[in-house]
Amino acid sequence: MNIKISALQFTREVQSGNISAEDFIAKTMEQIQNVDDSLHAFLSINDKAIDQAREIDKKIKSGGKIGQCFGMPISIKDNICIKDTKTTCASKMLENFIAPYDATVITKLKQQDAIFVGKVNLDEFAMGLSTEFSAYGPSKNPWNLDYIPGGSSGGSAVSVSAFECVTSLGSDTGGSVRNPASFCSTVGYKPTYGLISRYGLISYANSIEQIGPLTRTVEDTAFMLNLIAGLDPNDNTTVDNNNEDYLKDINSGIEGKKIGVIKEMIGEGIDPSVLSATKDAISKLEGLGATCEEVSLDMVTYSVAAYYIITATEAGSNLARYDNLRYGYDFSVEGYEFNSYIEKARKKLGPEVTRRMILGGFVPSAGHAGKYFLKALKVKNKLTRQINDAFKKFDLLISPTVPILPFKIGEKINDPVALFLIDINTVTANLTGKPAISIPYAISNGLPIGIQLIANSMNDKLLLQAAHALEKTVKLPEVPI
Amino acid sequence: MVSREEIEHVAKLMRIEIDDPTIYERVDKMIGYFDILDSAGVESEEISVREIPLANLREDKYIPFDEKLIEKLNSYKGTYVRAPKMI
Repeated sequence: MNIKISALQFTREVQSGNISAEDFIAKTMEQIQNVDDSLHAFLSINDKAIDQAREIDKKIKSGGKIGQCFGMPISIKDNICIKDTKTTCASKMLENFIAPYDATVITKLKQQDAIFVGKVNLDEFAMGLSTEFSAYGPSKNPWNLDYIPGGSSGGSAVSVSAFECVTSLGSDTGGSVRNPASFCSTVGYKPTYGLISRYGLISYANSIEQIGPLTRTVEDTAFMLNLIAGLDPNDNTTVDNNNEDYLKDINSGIEGKKIGVIKEMIGEGIDPSVLSATKDAISKLEGLGATCEEVSLDMVTYSVAAYYIITATEAGSNLARYDNLRYGYDFSVEGYEFNSYIEKARKKLGPEVTRRMILGGFVPSAGHAGKYFLKALKVKNKLTRQINDAFKKFDLLISPTVPILPFKIGEKINDPVALFLIDINTVTANLTGKPAISIPYAISNGLPIGIQLIANSMNDKLLLQAAHALEKTVKLPEVPI
Repeated sequence: MVSREEIEHVAKLMRIEIDDPTIYERVDKMIGYFDILDSAGVESEEISVREIPLANLREDKYIPFDEKLIEKLNSYKGTYVRAPKMI
């Protein structure tokens, strides 16, 4: 049985009776057994997945009502709650935390008969872009095991790329879906802010983070969006998408569309092979009837600093709950004074989380807020205005997803600023709430390159149409695992 | 440049005990990078706030939750969370 198929192919095959959900899930679990010791995408596995698939097959055979996923195997980033399963956020602090409820995205996928094959790795509390900051060890890039897979949704990207599932859900705060998608050659989607409910996503930086799918094809992303997008009374930042069908008209193409090439995202520090791939993608889009023209968003230069200040501030507040009283590990309160107990308990947090909590305490504090936090909010505001102005002239914006190729594990871990700057092309979409997608585009020296397209808020459908058009121009080699 | 004392003060407020000596240099480097905002020219910029109309909030009503969440805590007694002494 071929497990190297898309989500839409899977649903068609099961629906037509060519394959059973049970066989496919069994083969997928076998693939996880075979490759995950080397890749380390998964933090926990669903031992009941095959039984659940068998039940779905029974439902199909008996002509019962069946959901649109038909038992499709999906991996879930381990910061999204699935009731009665471990949700660790790749942190020792939540090593034994069992989620008491389902995230809204999980409820919706369960209703559509999806099967969650397991929870996948991330940088601790989603703070990082390489998965090296997971308390359970890094995931490896399936294209070259010496290299990082990107992050923080590294486990999600690895599991899709290495055929350990058909699709995955990650979360994107500053590029955490698109960056690993680019580094592992999968599609990665950050929706318009509010399009997908964050209820049940463990909070890091609420004002900008979003759950997003990682898939093999753009059509699969549209399919997933159809299942999980929309208003949720449990998340009052969600927006009404009027039950938009993102798959319908996905072949519309991009003839006549105007695309802005963001000048600040193809400048200093870009790898020559990434620049060359971006220029090639621009030519392809022009060949498909779009017109491309350079546009300057000068606030992009300051976006990374603004992003880290805002996220650290929100993280400092969100992570205050990890005091080992409400959440935590087995560490007795006896013999400790309140503050010293919490200080001791928080030693279970990893180094990057600790650093960001300190930053999160510093940048909004009295005497420093004006220089850092308030200025960061002003940059966010000006950047939003600039991008809104750009969308008065352009339908879409384009850039490489990440300005460099994947790097070796450990290569940049001691240089926080070098790591910051890798986010330069992705944080703009988060700070401004715009939808953005990474499309697998090229391979250089055996390592993947992704191209990013950005659309205006609530233009997710147009974005997927354009991404699909670009995707169809590309033929990439299969991942060498 | 952020002093060691400033970092220790903030860490204390955040109830974090620093036992990794590299943290001072790293935090200083990160905050040093943030100084780039000094040249952003945004002093006159307004800060916009995202407003959510009250009508968009969900109804404030009691929804029973059958499970005893307190049993998920490491340390509790009856219906109370057990915490270390405050004084």
